[in-house]
Amino acid sequence: MQSETTATRTTSERVRVGRGVRGRAAVSQARLILLVMINVAQLWILAAAVEAALARHFNILVPLVVASGVCWLITLSIVLWWRPVSRRHTSTGYIRPQKK
Amino acid sequence: MNSEKHAKVIKEILSDERDVREATREHQKDFPYDRGEEAQVTRREFCNFLALTSTALFFGAAGFAGKAALDARREQTFAPALIPNAANMPVGSALNFAYPTEKDSAILVRVSEAEYYAYGQKCTHLACPVYFEKEHGRFECPCHEGAFDVKTGNVMYGPPPRPLDRIELERREGGEVWAKSRTAGETEHAI
Repeated sequence: MQSETTATRTTSERVRVGRGVRGRAAVSQARLILLVMINVAQLWILAAAVEAALARHFNILVPLVVASGVCWLITLSIVLWWRPVSRRHTSTGYIRPQKK
Repeated sequence: MNSEKHAKVIKEILSDERDVREATREHQKDFPYDRGEEAQVTRREFCNFLALTSTALFFGAAGFAGKAALDARREQTFAPALIPNAANMPVGSALNFAYPTEKDSAILVRVSEAEYYAYGQKCTHLACPVYFEKEHGRFECPCHEGAFDVKTGNVMYGPPPRPLDRIELERREGGEVWAKSRTAGETEHAI
């Protein structure tokens, strides 16, 4: 069935579908890389917080916790809202008209 | 040709995990699982795992900071405590004891007949226990090579950011040595 569909697609359609898939894959990979980088930053922040607490530098702890919180919020926004969608179906529910 | 054949055989042996995947061994029958499936993590699962890790790291940092700040604000009262066997210590030796609670390890050093110094034993860098290095007359941390002065507790070198916690001592009748209070070694950055 799938092969039939593929066979009936014109070359321009195939190119368009291929671009869409590649685009979504790129967005997914970008999400993943961002999440990994944020995790690394948070690990560093946690290590700095431990060192600051042991050194009794309590005035540094608040900015560190705030920074970790900001990282966490960015992570949540990436995971919950920043999803790759098709070019036609937008995140707000609007469906763009298909190009001919 | 022969080496190619060998390489192929070795590759087959190393990559042959069919029996593991199928969970055919006796001990695997009770808890069979599909190893091939287990090893595959989708990008979405990995993203969710990263989000979970981020949550844990944030709450870990917040919890650790909160606990440290609360502990620092809590005012402690200290009851004097006798340090056993301190009077019989030879000059130039060290003795471990606990003060003010059993969990707070401390170290006492007898520098001369009449001079004793006591400090908390936790290194102020990452809380490794410091020991008295008799040859150089200083406290050394075995973890990251930090060193503290015996008479002041100040950092001589290495990564520790502040002096050791100082324990105030009192000599009583019969040469007994008592611990009176414990104060955190402070730097100008500390609140």
